[in-house]
This record gives sequence, structure tokens and C-alpha cells, in this order.
Amino acid sequence: MLQQILALLVIAFFLLRLLSQKNKKQINGNEFLLWLIFWLVALGAVIFIKQIDTLVAWLGFSGSAINIFVYLVVLALIYQVFRMRLTIAKMEKNISTLNQALTLKK
Amino acid sequence: MKVICVIPAYNEADNIGLVIDKVKPLVDEIIVIDDASRDDTLKIALARGVTAVRHIINRGQGASLRTGTQLALDKGADIIIHFDGDDQFQASDIPEMIKPLINNEADAVLGSRFLGKESNLPKTKKNIIMPLARFINRLFFDIRLSDPQSGFRALSRTSALNLKIENDGMAHCSEILYQLFKNKNRVVEVPITVIYHDYGQKIGGGLKIIKDLFIQKLIN
Repeated sequence: MLQQILALLVIAFFLLRLLSQKNKKQINGNEFLLWLIFWLVALGAVIFIKQIDTLVAWLGFSGSAINIFVYLVVLALIYQVFRMRLTIAKMEKNISTLNQALTLKK
Repeated sequence: MKVICVIPAYNEADNIGLVIDKVKPLVDEIIVIDDASRDDTLKIALARGVTAVRHIINRGQGASLRTGTQLALDKGADIIIHFDGDDQFQASDIPEMIKPLINNEADAVLGSRFLGKESNLPKTKKNIIMPLARFINRLFFDIRLSDPQSGFRALSRTSALNLKIENDGMAHCSEILYQLFKNKNRVVEVPITVIYHDYGQKIGGGLKIIKDLFIQKLIN
């Protein structure tokens, strides 16, 4: 119970911070929506932790709900790293194009 | 026929002068691409009276060849030679390399270290890395060449015009091979000699090539 309250406080803090960032126009609408969904899902997961545990057991997983979340987060991080690698590759390509244009222009 | 030799160079102050002196009598023009060297590569090349340009930032051998090939095409080259600036290739092989292009027997000529001429290729490279590279080329691209990783090549103007070097690093070698065959060029191999001063690319470099080719495929 105490762990759940602590988790809720952390999520509440980030939700308030998110709202503040939106009000100060530090993030755009899409970013706000993405993080809002993320934190609301986290909020739901913390509130309904027991039901999720039951669901996970019913699906045949031996670990607890928290374990499944950790696996999903790891997968999400791997995907993010991969996306970032592709973005960097595109940027590198653009840098090379500029570099060549400047070299040949001289 | 105007023959232009493109020499990419990065920190090659010790070798570039010698390489230019050896290549100069055999071609109409030399273009040195200094890939943002920290030494006097550019200064030495300019002092030899050849065309030398400098990348603002270091982008790799593939990027240098792309710049050099474009410049050679702009200068009206009929034949473009890709040659290394580290004095490992032998300039004396150039006449044999361009002969099939002059005689219109080929569109692209690739130097091979495995067709008779002696090269001091490191044993692990000769017996492990190269057979592996040959196998990968056959399996994935259906390219059957004795030397799948040679950087010494001569291209006709048409084949160079159709070439799009996308990879900045060492993966350009496989990429060029693939495109030459895909564009239905007549490709021939000519024996060359390579004198190694160091080991060169290791297994890790080979893995990086595979990774770069994969990433390139995804972002295109």
C-alpha cells in the first residue's frame, strides 16, 4: 500500500510538471499528449495493480505484473535506441551532403 | 580519353607526396580529397601541383570518394580511377587497370589481389576474412569476384555517373560492387599488387560494414 502511494505521488508530480510545461509552451501538443497517455497508463497500472496481477496470471505468465512492465519498458527502450540510431544515420547523411557541397563550392 | 585519378587521404602526410609522384606520369589529372586531416596532407598535395580539396569535417573514405568522383565528372573525366593515398597500391598497375576501359571491353575494372600477382596480404585476411566476404557477396548479392574488398578500381564515365555512393565509411566498397552489377555494367577484374604497411581493416571493421549496409538500407 505504501509503495502504491509513493508511486502515485511520483506520477502526480510528473503530471503536474507536464501541465506546467504545456502552459509555459515548453512542449508541443503532440508531445504533451504522448506523455499524458504514458503517465495515465502508469497511473492506471499502479491503481489496478492487483487486477493486472490476476490478468497476467490468467494469461499464463509466472511473474508479477511489475515484471511484465519491466520487460515491456526494456523492449520500448530497445526500440527507442533503434529509432535514434536511424535518426542519427539520417543526420550523418545530411551532414555529408552539406560537407560535399561546401567542399565543391570552394 | 581524359583519365583522372581520385585519391582520398586522411592524415597521409608521410605518403601522399610519394603516391602523387608515382601516379602523376600515368594519368591526365589527380584529385586529392583531404578528409579534414590534422597533418599537412593538403599542403603537400597542393605543392605537387595537383587539384586538392579539403573536407571541412572528417566524413570517411566513402564520402571522400563521392566528393572526388563528382569533381572528376565535373572536370570531364572519361575514366576515373579510385586509388588509396597510403602507398599500398602500385601505380605501375594503372595502365593495366584502364586498358579494358580504353578498349571498350568493360565499364568498370576492379583490382584483384588474388589473380596471380604477389601481395603480402596478412594470412588471416587471406584465409578467413576474404573467403567470408566472398561468401557473403555470393549469398546476398550473387556477386562472384575473386577480390570482394578491393579499393583500387577504374570506372568509365557512364558507370561513374550511375554510381551513387551512399556509405561514408568503408561499406562503400561493397556498395559500389553491388551498384556496378545492379546497373548491368561490364565488370572485369585485373590482377594487382598490394604492399601492406599495416594490417588494415580487422574483423570488427567487417562487422561495422555489415551494420552500415543494413542501416543504409533502412534509411533509404
